[in-house]
Order: sequence, then structure tokens, then C-alpha cells
Amino acid sequence: MAALFLAVLLPTLFWDQPADTAETLRKAGIERLYVPANQVAAWKKSGLTALPFDRDKASKAAAPAVEYRMDVASATRIPWVDANGWRFARDPARSYFYDVSKGSAVLAAAEAYAYGVEAAIRAAPDDLEAFARMLKFLGAIDQPRLPVKANIGVIDDGSAAMGEVLNLLARHNLLFRVIPAPDPKYDLNIRLGAGEFSKADLADPYAFAMRIRRRLTDEKRLLRIYGSNVVLALLTGDGGQARVHLINYGAATVKGLRVRVLGSYARGKLAAFDHEKSELQDYSAQEGAPGNSTEFTIPEMGTYAVIDLTSP
Amino acid sequence: MNRRTFLQVAAAAPAVLSAEDRKLPKYRIVSHFAPAAQPGMPGPYPGHLVSVHAEQSIDVTTEKPNGTVVGEMMSRGMRALTGDADVRDAWARFITPSDIVGIKVNCSGAPGIMSTPEVVAEIARNVVAVGVKPDQIWIYERFQEQVNSVHYDRYVPQGVHIWTAETSRGSTESYDPATYVETTFFDEDDTRSNMIRLVSNRFTKIINVPNMKDHGAAGVTGCLKNIAYGSFSNVARSHSGTVTNTYSFIGTLASVEPLHSRTVLQVMDGLRGVWHGGPFSPSRKYRFYPKQMMFGTDPVAIDRLLLDVIDNKRKSEHALSVWDRSPSHVNPQAGDYENNPNVNHFVREPGHIEYAASLGLGVYDLDKIKVTKIEL
Repeated sequence: MAALFLAVLLPTLFWDQPADTAETLRKAGIERLYVPANQVAAWKKSGLTALPFDRDKASKAAAPAVEYRMDVASATRIPWVDANGWRFARDPARSYFYDVSKGSAVLAAAEAYAYGVEAAIRAAPDDLEAFARMLKFLGAIDQPRLPVKANIGVIDDGSAAMGEVLNLLARHNLLFRVIPAPDPKYDLNIRLGAGEFSKADLADPYAFAMRIRRRLTDEKRLLRIYGSNVVLALLTGDGGQARVHLINYGAATVKGLRVRVLGSYARGKLAAFDHEKSELQDYSAQEGAPGNSTEFTIPEMGTYAVIDLTSP
Repeated sequence: MNRRTFLQVAAAAPAVLSAEDRKLPKYRIVSHFAPAAQPGMPGPYPGHLVSVHAEQSIDVTTEKPNGTVVGEMMSRGMRALTGDADVRDAWARFITPSDIVGIKVNCSGAPGIMSTPEVVAEIARNVVAVGVKPDQIWIYERFQEQVNSVHYDRYVPQGVHIWTAETSRGSTESYDPATYVETTFFDEDDTRSNMIRLVSNRFTKIINVPNMKDHGAAGVTGCLKNIAYGSFSNVARSHSGTVTNTYSFIGTLASVEPLHSRTVLQVMDGLRGVWHGGPFSPSRKYRFYPKQMMFGTDPVAIDRLLLDVIDNKRKSEHALSVWDRSPSHVNPQAGDYENNPNVNHFVREPGHIEYAASLGLGVYDLDKIKVTKIEL
């Protein structure tokens, strides 16, 4: 299955300040950056690797964040998460540009890395050190990318309304892939106009997404999160190995997060950004019906954590 | 302990309630704990409780309880419940020196109303008198910020633990990942409510100390709600809009092992009460002073009496009955509810007590409940 492994991209700092700020970057731990094309020459003497990046040609990624909108009615009172996973799933081959305010660059880097997209991130100067630390973390955990695991196939009509459905699927950790045509390997294929999913139904994207959830059933979900409503997950895997990416969009450390992955994996190893000593707890793997699942607890995680699962 | 695995899908509503126009969620209870030969609820005294009233138990001006009177109320109540002449013998029926004892307090209305420190201290003192070391006693509640204002440490013997499950709201590390109730109420993502780890893995006995309070969702909050919602994570998800699932969720949670078996004593602290706006009590406007305590092992029987205490008080204040289900009286805007006793926040579910009875947690029928009344 090695042929399915894809190249991995590390996110890169976008920096449009003059080359005389090189020492600031170096001190923070930045060694490689994107700059506007007309500044590449000026950066050559800096000793840093400065590559040209045209932000106008890149797709814009939203600043990842959590909003607690008290004025918006919500069935479950869950906070609003601004995330880009659905956008990346829709068009993974594009380059993305983040222009984020102070405090968000680290999260943006984690998000872009998890989804394996090329991303340039314009970070605030105060975030440089943390950003460099995240890059170091990503470099340490980096490995050949495994295929995305999903059991919902969505035939995307490209509409804004369908984009919102994809957003909600990602938001609720309903793992999907955008596919060109129905494929029997998915437990559920979503195509507008086919069966119970009509174009008119897109008028209520939340109801649409929840109907997908009910059709799939929670038992068949490849991955479940218990203990936080601001952690979004991505699952990659192949054969007897899998990698769980967990992105915490909230500002607070998440404690005691419980994760359930469909399928039995004998071992799991945790790497959590800024929580190096954190180890998986209460690990259990059940084979066969009705369980056939692996569960574990992450005692503490900040912005990003990766769990590598293996079976004999 | 013999440990077996129980995976149980709760049955549909019992026949007695089948006429109710209420859609019950499906619950999946996951617990590895077997029930005790005689579960603590309803315990050795089903349908029997002792109600002790003492006019001098609290100064209604200062709201300061009288510790001496509280001690006497507890002694009389426990002796009347068990029939023992010596109060130590009465406590020894429930607690042995080797027990690790959890005292489930209620601090959601603190500092206005909570399991009174004088009451909790008297319980701890009696438990120690049986031979339990102070460091084997754990006063527990879910939320740290609610306990902070109560200062139990100033009242209880040195060494008694004062512990909360969530030092920061929403943290789940203190809950048992292997003991939970799974259900979906409103398409929420997190469909599990996990039992506090100390309850499942440490405590051998639990004493439940609720208050006499109105509750905007459950109708009243007494023994059942305190032990159920107070021992599990992620329970607020049962309410949304005007709908609450407290009707079936409270009893379901209380029936989960080992909580069901280990909760051996109910001490209803009714020195103060809240007749509207509960479970919170930000002002004295809706507080009242029943000046009573109830003792028993049957949470349903005590809560059945509590229903009348709260509803009678509401009637005397010309407020809506806790049984009122009229949609026209429901306004989910919290401010309206808190300021007007003729507005409901949710369609209240006082029927949760009868539902719990149908799960075997106690006796609901007033004609079958024996109340021993003591006046001090």
C-alpha cells in the first residue's frame, strides 16, 4: 500500500516585513519562510531560506477559532467553531493562505498540517516563538501521510450550501471524503437528488448534516470524541495502522478527552504539543462485535495531539 | 468484589406511565459493577422515612444554623429510623470502620443554600464515631466554584477531603471512562455521561445530602437529582429550549451501579429551602425555612414528600404548581423565570420521581410511605 502514501507538507510562515527582521525570526527558531516575490532577493543574505509566495493566488483560509455566540440559538448550546477542514477536504491540492491575528498561528499550523495541505501563515510577531515550536513538533511527528479514513462519501455540487454541510460534518467529527461519484466502499454516499437528500433540503444545512449522522448511525462512526465540543478530529490509516489527529480550537487545555476509534488496535502512542509527558490512559481495545473498537483517554492536550495506533 | 460486565439497554417506559405523551430516549448503560445483594437504594427501609422539625434549628434572620440543635435532630432522626437506642449503633448499620465514605453535598445554590456545613460536619462526626478515619471521608461535588464559598473545611474534622470533579468546568479527567450512560437527546456530539471515578472506584459507601429546592427543569431537586446529576458528567445536555429529559434521565443515572448499591443513606437538609428559581438561589427572595431534616434510605419516598413541601409553598405564594405543563407558561429566557414565579423555564418534570420508583429505586405511593414525625 506504500503507493498510496502521499507527500507531507509542513506549514510555512509568511513574513512580509523587511529582511532586516531576520534576526528576530532566527531567535524565535524560524529557519524557513515565505516572502512576497519582490522581497526574495533582499532575504538572500539573511541566512534563512526565503521562498516566494503569492498570497493573491492562494485560497484564503479562515482564522481558526471558537466563538461563544450567546445570541445565537443552538440546539445543544455548543460553541461556534471556525475551522477549515471542510474547505481543505473540498480542495486538498490548493495552496492556502492564513492571515491570522495574535494567538492563532499555532492553531492554523496544526490545522493545515493535519489535513496535509500546503499553507502559508501570516503570524503576528508575538506568536513567532510558539509557531516555531509547533513546526518543530510537527517535524518530529512527521511521517509519510496515510490515506484519509472516511465512511461518508459526498458528491459535492460546489454550492455554498453544500459547503456548509461539509463544514458541519467536519464540525461534528462525521468523517467524510469528497468523491466524484458514489462508491460502494463508503457506508453512506450523499448525492443531491438521489434518495432522501434533495437540493431543497440544503436550505437547512444543520438538519441535513444531522440526517446524515442518523443514517450512518453513531455505532458506525469511525471516530468519536467525548469530553469536549471544540476538538475536531481527522483519521488517517492503512491496514493495521492509523493516525488520529486532534485539533483543539479552544483556548483552554482539554483534560480527560476520551476517544473511540472503530477497529481494534493493540497499541497507541500519544504525541501532544506542549504536553510532552502526556501519555494515553485507560486504553482498551475490543475485537469483534459488538465492540470492535479502541478507546483511550488523553489526560491533557493543548492545541494539537496525534495518536498513532497499531495492531499486530 | 465479583465484577461482571453489564451492557443494558434500558427498557421502554413502564406500563403505568405509558399514557404519558412523552418520547423517552434510549439509554445504554455501561458498567462493570454488579449490584449488591441489597442495593443502598431503596435500602433496608423502603417507604419509610423520619422527618424531624426543630423551630430552633436555624435563625431565619441571619440564616445561621444552630449546630447543637442540628446534632440533636440527627441523633433523633437516625435512632428513629433504625430503632436503635444508641446513635452510634444506628450509624453502624450503614457504615463500617473500613469504609471509604463519600458525602454527596449540593452546592449549586451556594452560598444562599447548600448542604449546610453544620449538617455535613455532624454527619462526618458520626461517621468518625463509628471508627472511620477522617481521611477515609470525602465530601464531594461536581463544580469547584460552587464549593468555594461554603468552607466545609472550617467545620469538619481535620483530614476529611473536600473534593470536586471539575476544578475547571467541563474537564473530564475525574470521570470513569468505563462507567457511563450513553444516549442522544438533542443531536449532541458527546453522548456519554460518565460516573465520577471516585464513586465507581474508591467509595464503598455514599451518604446523600440534598436540599429542599424547587427546580426549573425537574420540578424539584432532592435526593434523586442530587445523587444522579451530581455524580455524572455532561448532564446539562438533557435540557434544551423548553424541553428537559430529566423525567427519565435522573432515575436512569441513579440506577447505575455502583452508585445504586453504594448510596446507603439519605439525609435531606431542609433547614433552608428554595421555592422558586432553583437550583440556584442568588437572592433571598425565594428562600424559605422548613427547619426540618429527613432521614431514610429510600430517595423516592423522601422526594415524594419534598414535592408537596415545595408545591404547597408555591401555592401559598400564589405561584404556578410544579405540575403545571402549560406551554403558555413556559419562557426559556432565564431572566423572566428567575424574576417571576408564574413563568417556567422548561416544561417541568416532577414525574421523574415516580419514574425512578418504576426503576426500583423506592416507593412513590403516599399511601405506602410511612413517615415518622419528630418535633423538637
